Amino acid sequence: MKPVVYRKLPLILVGVMAFGLPLVVTSPTYLHIVILLFLYAYLTTSWNLVGGFAGVLPLGHAAFVGIGAYTSTILSLQYGVSPWIGMLVGAVIASIVGVIIGLPTFKMRGAYFALATIAFAEGIRVMFENIDYLGPFQINGPRGLQIPPLKTGLASFMFAEKEPYYYIILVMLAGVLLLTWAISRSKLGYYLMAGGEEPEAAQALGVNVARAKLTAMAMSSFLTAFAGTFWAQFTLYIHPKSVMSLDISFEIAFIALIGGRGSIAGPVLGALLLRPVSDFSRIYFGDKLPGLHLIIFGVVLILVMLFQPRGLQLPLTRIYHRVMDRLFGDREAAV
Amino acid sequence: MKILELQTVRKYFGGIKAVESFSLDVNEGDIVGLIGPNGAGKSTLFNCVAGVFPPTAGDILFLGEKINGQKPWDLCHKGLARTFQIVKPFASRSVLYNVMVGAFATTDKRSEAEQRAREVLQHLNMDDKKDQRAGNLTIADRKRLEIARALATRPKLLLLDEVMAGLRPTEVDEMVAIIKRLREGGMTIFVIEHIMRAIMALSDRIAVLHFGTKIAEGNPQEITRDERVIKAYLGEDYGAA
Amino acid sequence: MLFILEDTINGILMGSIYGLAALGLTLIFGVLKVINFAHGSLLMVGMYVAYWAVLLTGVHPYLSLVIVVPVMFLFGYLLQDILIKPIFKAEKNVREPITVIIVTTGVWYILDNLSLLIFGPQYRNIQDNPLRGKMLEAGEMMISVPKLWGFCAAIITALLVYLFLQKTRMGRAVRATSLDRDAASLQGINQYKIYNISFGIGTAVAGVAGVTLVPFFNIFPSVGVLFDIKCFIIVVLGGLGSIGGALLGGMIVGVIESVGPQFMTATWTEAIVYGLFLVFLFLKPSGLFGVKYDW
Repeated sequence: MKPVVYRKLPLILVGVMAFGLPLVVTSPTYLHIVILLFLYAYLTTSWNLVGGFAGVLPLGHAAFVGIGAYTSTILSLQYGVSPWIGMLVGAVIASIVGVIIGLPTFKMRGAYFALATIAFAEGIRVMFENIDYLGPFQINGPRGLQIPPLKTGLASFMFAEKEPYYYIILVMLAGVLLLTWAISRSKLGYYLMAGGEEPEAAQALGVNVARAKLTAMAMSSFLTAFAGTFWAQFTLYIHPKSVMSLDISFEIAFIALIGGRGSIAGPVLGALLLRPVSDFSRIYFGDKLPGLHLIIFGVVLILVMLFQPRGLQLPLTRIYHRVMDRLFGDREAAV
Repeated sequence: MKILELQTVRKYFGGIKAVESFSLDVNEGDIVGLIGPNGAGKSTLFNCVAGVFPPTAGDILFLGEKINGQKPWDLCHKGLARTFQIVKPFASRSVLYNVMVGAFATTDKRSEAEQRAREVLQHLNMDDKKDQRAGNLTIADRKRLEIARALATRPKLLLLDEVMAGLRPTEVDEMVAIIKRLREGGMTIFVIEHIMRAIMALSDRIAVLHFGTKIAEGNPQEITRDERVIKAYLGEDYGAA
Repeated sequence: MLFILEDTINGILMGSIYGLAALGLTLIFGVLKVINFAHGSLLMVGMYVAYWAVLLTGVHPYLSLVIVVPVMFLFGYLLQDILIKPIFKAEKNVREPITVIIVTTGVWYILDNLSLLIFGPQYRNIQDNPLRGKMLEAGEMMISVPKLWGFCAAIITALLVYLFLQKTRMGRAVRATSLDRDAASLQGINQYKIYNISFGIGTAVAGVAGVTLVPFFNIFPSVGVLFDIKCFIIVVLGGLGSIGGALLGGMIVGVIESVGPQFMTATWTEAIVYGLFLVFLFLKPSGLFGVKYDW
């Protein structure tokens, strides 16, 4: 085999292990933790399309999670529509909302854009928390919506055990990573990078920067909404604070930033490093030291921004390549 | 045929008259130079043509079509490319990546863009640097990269904004040779330049801008002998570079 | 009709306190060109400092200013010096360092959760302070006394800041740096020291706002979040960098919040404030008075 394939071997191994994980990890608690980890890896990778590739700082992505969750739940509770279809509908709506938000805000300076996304997200959440009905749709305000665990099976996107959820989120994660990789190598990816780094030069080279950013936003919000539906079907209970809170938006952004936005591995690495911290500190210190994991997040975030602003993926991938070089010889230069 | 026509173009910024009633024709295959003291309005004129902002009055025609106020990216697709006086490479990326951004203007496929980019780099003798990080290049190479990127978009008209600034004399000569080669390949070029020896060597015709007005136009010999030009420059740039 | 007048007046008073809270934010932006996402948390810290000062010494809440102002100034100064300055230095050429926003967001998270850890989630207030619950009778209207004190504090603080910037040497240096940091630096002004001082002043002003709130507002770890977003809204409405704009923006929000519930639910009032915010962001991001040079 060529050296190039050798270098990918560890990644292939990881992929295989991921598929076999439920055979080894049988405790539902731990599987639950892993599922959430993958969910956040999925969310941060989707966020990365806008926050990393397009070079802006969206801090309200939880709104799209909420839109996805509520759309599929309402459609299935009130109209008996399959959650899979509801997932798609939610994604389309989220996509449209994303473009509407993006149209006026992408022209703004970075800080204003971040503020605007926060305002939108909080506005949507406040609205959901205070209305019982949106037209014919039942929202139920802060009490939220519960999904009765009636029939299980793939068609109804509901399962008694955790294993099927694990595989679904694994497939989603793999899909979004593949998509991100494909985009990074495509015209859109090049255009986004160019528009983010030197917008004037990019425009002179034929790049409609605004349109590229909007495309990225539409994709990102579309994919993020999928996670909302997954979350709804996984926890069977959604309310504004659980799917749309600012905390979720910030956690997504923080993880991506710490891992390294703009790269493919960054968000996933960030999730792999930080979610366990979050979960374990909550399990072991939850009562005595509440909010400890958030303090750790904050400290890590600041340290990373001060010393490794491109994220932890930079030193980590360097180490990886150095190890690979040692084992299999120099790689060919990549574009 | 006329590639570019500037008809009594005016650009005012509030009360400031940056460009006053400027007219000029650029024919196919020409190299036309635009010179003038600092602050004369040269870059403003370029920016009007390149779509950064629309002219206050007057018309700009590109390939016979009025392009006032059209956006830079649309103009690029119509065949108008430009470089920037202060170079703006995508510093964190490789040279090849930079040029590919330009190459994507004419194709959607990555393989085609990569191929076109490599052709352009070879044409400019930069192929050996294709994998270098753009931010690490010397200033001369960065200027060449600017041109390479613009070339990759397959333009019919190339606007070069002070590509010689900051180059050593040998580098200036190299750049002149490159630009001449481009014209031999059929490119029409509109150049802003301060380095006299370059603009004299390159241009078929030169227009001179002073406080926003065209004070002279002609071939290099006529320009250097023109009284108004000499007065405007006070002769100090004549021996420059 | 009288209710509306009473609400309006109380709204203006409360709004001036909002404006005071936003004043620090707008100062920091005007000089550093950075939106400090941790501002609400700094306000929260100010409130806790004032709370403990009063609780431990038993003095009149406004006397705690003696402790609060220097402590907050120092806190802000150090924050800027240790955490933000390195980023400024590293990203000298970036037009607007987003990394700073990220860092201040991190500070927000740390401060809020640290105070949750240390002080616990319970709501605190100073029950028997001389200002609590007092009302001033003006004809048939009841004006809230603590808010009136707050109003005075806001005006005085704004005036002091304005005088500082206009009349003192240091103040002029601050203004110079805010207009053109490179030019100011060439004139011998140490821009990083100016940033530190400006951040310190902005934080100290947040501390003053905290003091004005302590007599009547509940104190709890996430109180900052409430004010954070409100301050952003005010600062955009009034114009980033404008002292008068901050106060005016604060009063507008205060009045809407006060008068609104007479005609619609609290939710809709909140929605109007958000809506106004977004309208300004889109149409007039420089706000009512925000021109860069508005000192």
